[in-house]
Amino acid sequence: MLKIKNLHAQVGDTQILQGLNLEVGPGEVHAIMGPNGSGKSTLASVLSGRESYEVTDGSVDFDGVDLLEMDASDRAREGLFLAFQYPVEIPGVSNMNFMKAAINGKRAHQGLDPIKGTDFLQKVKDCASLVELDGRLRDRSVNEGFSGGEKKRNEIFQMAMLEPKLAVLDETDSGLDIDALRVVSQGVNAMRNSDRSFIVITHYQRLLDHIVPDYVHVLSEGKIVKSGGKELALELEEKGYDWI
Amino acid sequence: MSQTEEDKLLNEVTGKSYEFGFTTDIESDTIAPGLNEDVIREISAKKNEPEWMLEWRLAAFKIWSEMEEPEWAHLEYPKPDLQAISYYSAPKKKTELKSLDEVDPELRKTMEKLGISLEEQKRLSGVAVDFVMDSVSVATSFKDKLAELGVIFCSLSEAIQEHPELVKKYIGTVVPQRDNYYAALNSAVFTDGSFCYIPKGVRCPMELSTYFRINEAGTGQFERTLLIADEGSYVSYLEGCTAPQRDENQLHAAVVEIVSLDDAEVKYSTVQNWYPGDEKGKGGVYNFVTKRGICYKRSKISWTQVETGSAVTWKYPSCILKGDDSIGEFFSVAVTNNMQQADTGTKMIHLGKRSRSTIISKGISAGNSQNSYRGLVKIHPGATNARNFSVCDSLLMSSTCGAHTFPYIEASNPTAKIEHEATTSKIGEDQIFYCQQRGIDEEEAIGLIVKGYAKEVLNKLPMEFAVEAQKLLTISLEGSVG
Amino acid sequence: MTGSKESFISNFKAPENSRGLRSQGDQYLVDLPVPGRRSERWKYSPISKLLNTSLNTCSGEGVVWPEEILPDPVPFLDSYRLVFRNGHYVSSLSDMPIDDDVICMPLSEVGAEFTNDYHKREWVGAMNAAYHQDGLFLKVSKNVSLDRPVVIHHLTDGADIAALPRHYIELEEGAGAEVVVWSSASEKSSGMCNGILEANVSSNAYLRVDKICNEAGEIFKFSHEYIKQERDSRVKINTFTIKGHWVRNELEIVANGPGTDSTFNGAYLPTGTEHVDNHTVMDHAYPNGTSSELYRGIMYDKSTGVFNGKVFVRKDAQQTNAFQQNSNIVADKGATINAKPELEIYADDVKCSHGCTVGQFDKEALFYLKSRGIGSDEAKALLVKAYVGDVISSVDREEVRNEILRLYSERHGWA
Ligand SMILES: Nc1ncnc2c1ncn2[C@@H]1O[C@H](COP(=O)(O)OP(=O)(O)OP(=O)(O)O)[C@@H](O)[C@H]1O
Ligand SMILES: [Mg+2]
Repeated sequence: MLKIKNLHAQVGDTQILQGLNLEVGPGEVHAIMGPNGSGKSTLASVLSGRESYEVTDGSVDFDGVDLLEMDASDRAREGLFLAFQYPVEIPGVSNMNFMKAAINGKRAHQGLDPIKGTDFLQKVKDCASLVELDGRLRDRSVNEGFSGGEKKRNEIFQMAMLEPKLAVLDETDSGLDIDALRVVSQGVNAMRNSDRSFIVITHYQRLLDHIVPDYVHVLSEGKIVKSGGKELALELEEKGYDWI
Repeated sequence: MSQTEEDKLLNEVTGKSYEFGFTTDIESDTIAPGLNEDVIREISAKKNEPEWMLEWRLAAFKIWSEMEEPEWAHLEYPKPDLQAISYYSAPKKKTELKSLDEVDPELRKTMEKLGISLEEQKRLSGVAVDFVMDSVSVATSFKDKLAELGVIFCSLSEAIQEHPELVKKYIGTVVPQRDNYYAALNSAVFTDGSFCYIPKGVRCPMELSTYFRINEAGTGQFERTLLIADEGSYVSYLEGCTAPQRDENQLHAAVVEIVSLDDAEVKYSTVQNWYPGDEKGKGGVYNFVTKRGICYKRSKISWTQVETGSAVTWKYPSCILKGDDSIGEFFSVAVTNNMQQADTGTKMIHLGKRSRSTIISKGISAGNSQNSYRGLVKIHPGATNARNFSVCDSLLMSSTCGAHTFPYIEASNPTAKIEHEATTSKIGEDQIFYCQQRGIDEEEAIGLIVKGYAKEVLNKLPMEFAVEAQKLLTISLEGSVG
Repeated sequence: MTGSKESFISNFKAPENSRGLRSQGDQYLVDLPVPGRRSERWKYSPISKLLNTSLNTCSGEGVVWPEEILPDPVPFLDSYRLVFRNGHYVSSLSDMPIDDDVICMPLSEVGAEFTNDYHKREWVGAMNAAYHQDGLFLKVSKNVSLDRPVVIHHLTDGADIAALPRHYIELEEGAGAEVVVWSSASEKSSGMCNGILEANVSSNAYLRVDKICNEAGEIFKFSHEYIKQERDSRVKINTFTIKGHWVRNELEIVANGPGTDSTFNGAYLPTGTEHVDNHTVMDHAYPNGTSSELYRGIMYDKSTGVFNGKVFVRKDAQQTNAFQQNSNIVADKGATINAKPELEIYADDVKCSHGCTVGQFDKEALFYLKSRGIGSDEAKALLVKAYVGDVISSVDREEVRNEILRLYSERHGWA
């Protein structure tokens, strides 16, 4: 599904990723942990094609295509989804219009006609109930005036709407109360299947209690420095990163 | 964004030629260029006007001759040569039309190209259209239906003939002849325009609409609109403008006067996409317009405008809030691209007690354009408990454009409450990336964000216009981020 | 022939120094128009009334300092002091810094080069260029911070006076200085005080200016500051009009290098028929500049306030952050505020905003105070004090702050 080889990336003159390797198979859930500033969000940004990040070496293969060759919207249309650590507000653009544009962008890419109004509405209903997204939030502008937790919930709602092949969740758990954490995790779990993979970036074991990972990696100074099974997360929680 | 991509995108926009740039081949009756008393007499005579109208024009001409063209707007342009313009141009085959089928086929084609074929309008949308083609109204529809309610909707020339008492009573009462240079000029030479009267207590059941086009080469357009909403009435009026693509600058100096009597409400919406000139700033329309309304007791005037066209725009739709509890509103989206210059805004003059006004202005500048908001909020000593709220935002889409804000606030009453806010910011790269990550490409993302930014204003437009306005926004801006 | 621009200056006499500037001034006095209602910059502050008077410049001889005014306007401040009366330096009342790294002397004793062209743009400026009398010359060497603030005290005293001070401050790289510009006038005074202050603030230097106008009598006051800032320099200018018959404060800050920081604040509380005009221009021409501006005013009785704040962000001034806020209260029937905040922006990656309000005292707050047994006037005074206090608190020196507060309190009956 995803093969990252020797990835080097920089912002401005600062080298942030320094030879990162990672393989994610279909249906797998990988957790990435690591100290603040180690490069976790950078990895997410590089994978999704943010322009200010420059890849200086390495390759990323996504289901047989060269991910780094594509621009951000094409990566998304190919099935890569990023749940942002800090979702952006877009005043005046309704969540619904936004999702419609996104879905139709993907459908056009696949050579399909725009989605039918009734199908779209049905889908919205299903996905919103999945993450218990308040009806009023659906009709408001994208993330505008949403609380931190509501923004995260909206990210998972969008993920459900877009049905990606690979979803990267960047600290989707931070800022969530216990109930919201449960709801969001349930949403993610409901979407787990044998074809869909996840990369879950987090600082906390408590998320991994809900979304149980197949593998846990530790990212430090732009590299994966340790990998293991789900026990690794527990160990990290107990001993801290210094232990590695 | 990388430099090459930027260039590519810029090329795409600048390469997009003006969609409505075609001219119609209709024989016109045009008088020789130049301006003097005789020309005014000739215009008046051709239109078979009564003596008082001619006197009024001549008075205006005298005032105008003593005035100087204003300098203060944040605009730079070569002053148009007013002696090189022909002040009258009417399609020649003007006969009394019994039905739309009698309209000149060429003209019909023009209308169809504009997307406002009358039959269609008539059949589908219930919009009565007064189509002004180079100053003379050639066809109106729905007259009968409106007549039943006592609504008068016709060309101003016709009103001068048929309803002289109304015209005489109100013309120049809101925009006097000496108001400003271009208003004075218009008062002297206006050729036609729309006239609208809504009787007491009548809610006009349909949106009244006029499309203006500047067609004849080298003719200035000096239309004049007079709209009177009698006590307790309501009307929503739409004005749309397009102009064919020509190299020389065309002058458009219109006057719109609105009288909103006690308890009346007038909504006046404009979508303006006159030819803006090419990407080098060659050609395009000079749009110097005076629009003003007066509100009597408890009445309301609401101006909504989407301005995407013209090479140079100078326009301040205003409200004189004379009556107690009167309300003035101004909602504006002004887009400038390439070499366009716009200096637009509003004046809210508070005279009445508890008068209220709201100003929402959204400027979008791209390319090498200059976009200014200029506004005045004036609270007179007698306007106890007057309120104003203004928001003027500017969005910058390139590093070579300019966005400026010049609000004037004059308050002489201790109970006045005025709040003015203005912000200027760049279109957010984070927002664009967020959209892209959801599979929306850059062009579309910009369109979405800009429409979102302007939404507060677009929402004020009647349905028929909102769609067109959104399209215009997208057309004027596609790919212009950089 | 009173009222003409020639007659107005016909009795003015100038000292002999800085001939070049004076002759330029003479020329521009002829060329430039007198500010009037038709000029955008002066439409709210026309000066035709002043022009109808006949004023005289005076010589510096035979000075009698009036008893009711202290030569030292901020008594508790440990400072240097330069005292001027009707434009002339009064050495007996002054106390100048003596230091190898600091040059401080009356301007008349130095041939200083001014860089601004105000006298070429404004008739009022040309008048100062042609007829200026004296002022402060201050130069602080590289990386030296002046140990005490310098107080410039200008007194206008007498009838039909024309006083034209001119000050010049030069801070070398990394230098620092604090200046208090204080102007007073005695009760019976009338005429005009037309002053200019120019400061060049080199890279990484800092300048603080507190300008206070507390003039009795009937003086037309023009006061123009031109501040040029080089890379990474900081300036902070506070302008307080405590009392003044007709006051026009102009502040122009030009950021002439990247990374500059400019803070400027002001307060004006005119009463009676006073007229106070604050014109500010912030010109960002280089990247990464920051500016922040707060002006607050209350117009009492039949007074008039004017605020005009202009912010330019030029083409190359990317990443500029410019913030401007102007709030006004029209307190009485007959009072007027004319405000015009302006943004002119030619760069795209910037954050700029301005806000301008006209309003009343917060009724809720007033009610709250009254409900705690505080009388209506007292409650209002408390609110006013808090409102203006936000501006006063930006003055760094406690002694200056206290004196400003004391004078406002005395004038407006704040407890
Ligand atoms: N746009 C940028 N410009 C400059 N430095 C950046 C930029 N983005 C990230 N960095 C730097 O790169 C490093 C890695 O940042 P990143 O956001 O990837 O860390 P993270 O592992 O996600 O941290 P956290 O756990 O706090 O979210 C940090 O030192 C950060 O300051
Ligand atoms: Mg992160």
